[in-house]
Amino acid sequence: MRPYLAVVMDSFRSAFASRILWIAFLAIWLLLAALAPIGFQEVYTTRFRGEELSNGTQLKAMLARGLIDPQEEGTALGRLSAAMPGSLKKQLRTVARQNTPIQKWALADGLNRALDDESWYDQEAWQGTIRLTELKELDKLSEKQITEDQRRRRARLRIEAALPGGLIPRPSRSINLSYAGFAFPVDFPVTKKQFLVLVNQYVIPVMMDWLLGFILVFLGILVTASIIPEMLQPGSLHLLVSKPISRFGLLIAKYIGGCTFVLLCVCQLVVGLWAIAAWRLELWNPAILWCIPVAVFLFAVYFSVSLLAGLQWRSPILSIGVTCLFGGFVLVVGIFGGYFDQFVTGPEQISSMVKSADQLLVTTRGRQLRVFNDQANGWDDLFDKESVRRRDLLVRPVAISDDVFVSAKISGGQYNLYGNGTLEMLVLDRRADYKPIPLLPVPNGTRQFLVFGDQLLAMNNAGLLATPVSSVLQRIETERARLDDQGDDSESEEEAAEANSEVTDQDLQAVNQMEQLAWTQDLVGNLFRMQGGAVEEFQPILPEEIQLVEPLAATVAAGGKWLVLYSRGRLFWFGQPAPSSDQTTLELIGQLELPGSDAARTRLAASGQQVLVARADEPVRWLDLASGKLVGEIEVGSRDSVIDVSTLADKPVAENDVASSGRFAVLTSDGTLHLVERQGDALAARTLGLDDVHSIDFDSDSQRLLVAHDIDQVEIVAVASDGSLLSDRSIRATPAGWRKVDSWVMEPLRTLTPQTGELSETVAGLVSGRGSSAIERGFGDAEVRRYRIWRPVLSCGMFIVAIMSLSCFLFVRRDF
Amino acid sequence: MPGSGLSNGTFNAGKLSDEDSLAADSDSVVNVDDLKKTYHSYTWRGRKHVQAVRGVSLQAQRGEVFGLLGPNGAGKTTLIKMLLGVIRPSAGRATVLGQSIGSPVARSRVGYLPESLRVDRHHTARSALRYYGRLSRMDAQSIARRSDELLELVGLRGRDREPVVRFSKGMYQRLGLAQALLHNPDLLVLDEPTDGLDPVGRNEVRRVIERLRDAGKTIFLNSHILQEVELVCSRVAIMAAGQLKAIGAIDQLADQGQHRVTIDVLQTANAAAAPHSTNAAPHSTNAAPDLSPNAEPPLQLFDQQGQLIDLAGFPTLQFTRQRVAVRLAMEYESQAQIDQLVDRLRQSGCSIVGLSTAGESLEQTFMRLVGPAVGSDVSEESAVDSLGSVDGQRETQSQAIQSMAVQEAGE
Repeated sequence: MRPYLAVVMDSFRSAFASRILWIAFLAIWLLLAALAPIGFQEVYTTRFRGEELSNGTQLKAMLARGLIDPQEEGTALGRLSAAMPGSLKKQLRTVARQNTPIQKWALADGLNRALDDESWYDQEAWQGTIRLTELKELDKLSEKQITEDQRRRRARLRIEAALPGGLIPRPSRSINLSYAGFAFPVDFPVTKKQFLVLVNQYVIPVMMDWLLGFILVFLGILVTASIIPEMLQPGSLHLLVSKPISRFGLLIAKYIGGCTFVLLCVCQLVVGLWAIAAWRLELWNPAILWCIPVAVFLFAVYFSVSLLAGLQWRSPILSIGVTCLFGGFVLVVGIFGGYFDQFVTGPEQISSMVKSADQLLVTTRGRQLRVFNDQANGWDDLFDKESVRRRDLLVRPVAISDDVFVSAKISGGQYNLYGNGTLEMLVLDRRADYKPIPLLPVPNGTRQFLVFGDQLLAMNNAGLLATPVSSVLQRIETERARLDDQGDDSESEEEAAEANSEVTDQDLQAVNQMEQLAWTQDLVGNLFRMQGGAVEEFQPILPEEIQLVEPLAATVAAGGKWLVLYSRGRLFWFGQPAPSSDQTTLELIGQLELPGSDAARTRLAASGQQVLVARADEPVRWLDLASGKLVGEIEVGSRDSVIDVSTLADKPVAENDVASSGRFAVLTSDGTLHLVERQGDALAARTLGLDDVHSIDFDSDSQRLLVAHDIDQVEIVAVASDGSLLSDRSIRATPAGWRKVDSWVMEPLRTLTPQTGELSETVAGLVSGRGSSAIERGFGDAEVRRYRIWRPVLSCGMFIVAIMSLSCFLFVRRDF
Repeated sequence: MPGSGLSNGTFNAGKLSDEDSLAADSDSVVNVDDLKKTYHSYTWRGRKHVQAVRGVSLQAQRGEVFGLLGPNGAGKTTLIKMLLGVIRPSAGRATVLGQSIGSPVARSRVGYLPESLRVDRHHTARSALRYYGRLSRMDAQSIARRSDELLELVGLRGRDREPVVRFSKGMYQRLGLAQALLHNPDLLVLDEPTDGLDPVGRNEVRRVIERLRDAGKTIFLNSHILQEVELVCSRVAIMAAGQLKAIGAIDQLADQGQHRVTIDVLQTANAAAAPHSTNAAPHSTNAAPDLSPNAEPPLQLFDQQGQLIDLAGFPTLQFTRQRVAVRLAMEYESQAQIDQLVDRLRQSGCSIVGLSTAGESLEQTFMRLVGPAVGSDVSEESAVDSLGSVDGQRETQSQAIQSMAVQEAGE
């Protein structure tokens, strides 16, 4: 080894003697010096930002109601609405009649003004609001004890309490960046923990891409391209190969030596960045140093090409040119691959499933509803392609009978909680080949349907509303009959129109007779509907004292007897109203306040009276509703967020058995499926044998778990007691169209081409210690990005081995 | 000696007999047997083949300085590359120090000085020696010790910490020689070791080579400088067009060529050379007639009585008028021919004031073997170098007689 080490060490010395190295060092030191003054501090989250008002419609309606509803006079909402600037109030008063559009920034401005002047506050009025623990603590402070920042924070919390659901929940602390002691004018509404995660998962990979992956690699190729051509000069090569060393070893040693240039630069840059992150951002993360080997590895890919070109043509210029062409090719393949991910495979990924009898219905990330066609062994789209838009949002369908599913499509719901316009329930009926048919209005912003007993529940951020399932089914039958009769009898339509006309006249007469108050109540009703309140068929079902605050989650427990509801750190469980009683609201059985980050995205699952609560970046908690106590908590996955949970058995083992111990499936954002079960007093978690899982669901009828994985494949499985999966059915759709192109062309091309661009994902994964990242999309949804940590390493590694083998073969066999 | 058969113009591409091979194996450091090398290249017009070495066989014995001569494109470098394992032979076999060429053991016992040594810019002489020493698998102590010795030997002591970028070409060559000797090799392959050196430097290198030879090292020397080869080599091989034209000791090679005798005859009133009449037969049948208008007509030699001396028995004889003598020059094959000519002149009363014989110089041998066509190619490169060889003609006899005769003529 000694001779080869001598070659490597000689390359080190050669690199140190390079002027370009010292120029690169200087540039690195200047960059580090420029970055060193960056700092941050945690400040109270006070100011409202336009982005926080993703549901501007609801907030607008709320403030408008506070202005015109006599019942809100003197309440927190009324007082706050009255404190809005004059021009805004003028616009708000017209909302009920005209649904006047109001810019989000105008609403945010109005609220921010209220932060400075708290004359709107009245202690008595705010007693009736849902006050968070933080607000209660701040309310205890006297005016002398409270700081200005705390006062503004308290004002914000009071505003949030007055506008429940109108604002996206934000953490109590924000990050304020500074440079050389000067604070930036904008705060980042993330916790310190989230900030550090952002730095790890986004900032460092971006720096890796640009500083290390592009600039340093290019610089490195410029410097090292001459190594091989110079070695091949007769006076140098003949002497080297006349020494008692193998050519293979010589070439490999030269190759390793060539990488030393980049190693020297990368070490300084990364260690410098790590020191700045630790010193200035309190980010003591040694995993940042992973950037060093990954960057050198990235360079090694391109250097192998440069080396081969140098061997072949013995010209540094040609080496650089060929390497740049190769880089361009890799880039193009990467871009096309990204397009296929985004527009071909991504939209086909299954995001939710529901099964009824033998029929499986799924929604996809591309906002498409699909039903599996056994004969064609493929998925049939239920929406026309033209009507599918990425900004829309599909509510997960639920089965209300063996033949009928219901769902809803919120137009523009991806960016606006309440979407644009009114929301209608879509009925998917087997008899109509599951073609979506609009049936009846549902509350604005409905994000989840649940069947609880004989009720169909619609949950939005304002509350829980219900309509009888039988009523819906009846409406379906009526609608079908109407559609059948449509066009057959035009006379009946005319009669109906006449009748309507009569009704209208009667109404006009009634309006004339109504007092101003009644007219106002009508407008208030409009505003209620705008802010997600009751509509014709759906009526509130929660007790009045329960007000929902995001994040929200709900599930049915105890074999369908209880409804479990999570609302910003609080867990409620309700029983059905007694059939004999006149009560129309749910009966609150118990509630529990959970510690930890109440603003975190939350998922729920129930098995009997056992409930699993999974909050982002926290251990999952196992609660026993019978005792109302926490059974335990357990970390699931290697620091990856839980994105979904599901029960594995929701029916009592025996009659009246609602205390089943239960087992749960937990899906983490890295696509791994875990089994969480209770072993005595302790909880245990283990992985189930499926990877790349996108979503899970539970079919209560068959007591089977539905697992969607590898884009659009579905497994219907039972989980045995030993954790093995017993498959009932596997759905493997035959790829068609662009999917076929992806399978036969793009994927092989991406496998053969070293995916150097994906190495930034490797860095993100290694630095953050996670296999994925999950960005909150509101209402329990998360945009999951899975890091391909090992694929690029494997692809690049195989490429290096192939190219270096070829180079060694040429170098060993060729006459020089 | 002429006719010994060791070396002649038909030796090229000769294959050693098995007996020769066995005999050679016992003491030969370099043993090459019918080695061939064909280069293949691909062009738009198809595959091309270039036969660089066409079946060369030779041996270099232990302790000798073996010179390899040949014009550009003769295949010398290709042969050396094959011996060093840099390229693979197309056919034939060869051993170096009893090992197959290119084997690590063989390479570890060979020191090589390439023609145009390149040392990376970041090196000093000492760091370069350290680097090459490590490549030769030497330990640090040995490298340090040998570096001191060799830097002293090649005259780089005191400049060993300077970056090589400041070195002249001569200093590079010295450094190259030092690195070739660093691991104390048994065989030294020197490719143009004095190339680019000034006369003093050449002399120093030559002395180093002689010391190494005296120390028992075997040296394989490839050089264009015929004088250098003549001075230090025990044996030489001459290659041309990929073939071995001759191999042997320099004296032996020279004996294979033509020998020349020169006799100076004193001119007196009667005994003198004069242009022969147009009807007289020319004495030199080989002399080509000079047809230029100003050319001096061919000479004839007359005795004391003014009679034309009959030298018809010496058809290659040529005359040249000197200041006080007439010079007769003739190529000969045996001493009897010289004796006959001297007798004939003395019988005619001619006074011989000088007589000298000369063998073939190495350059003449080289030119004779390589041929005028190839020699003309060589001439451009070696015109200056070969001057020394011309001056170095070996005068073997009677310089004293010649000087005495000149003195007499002066009197």
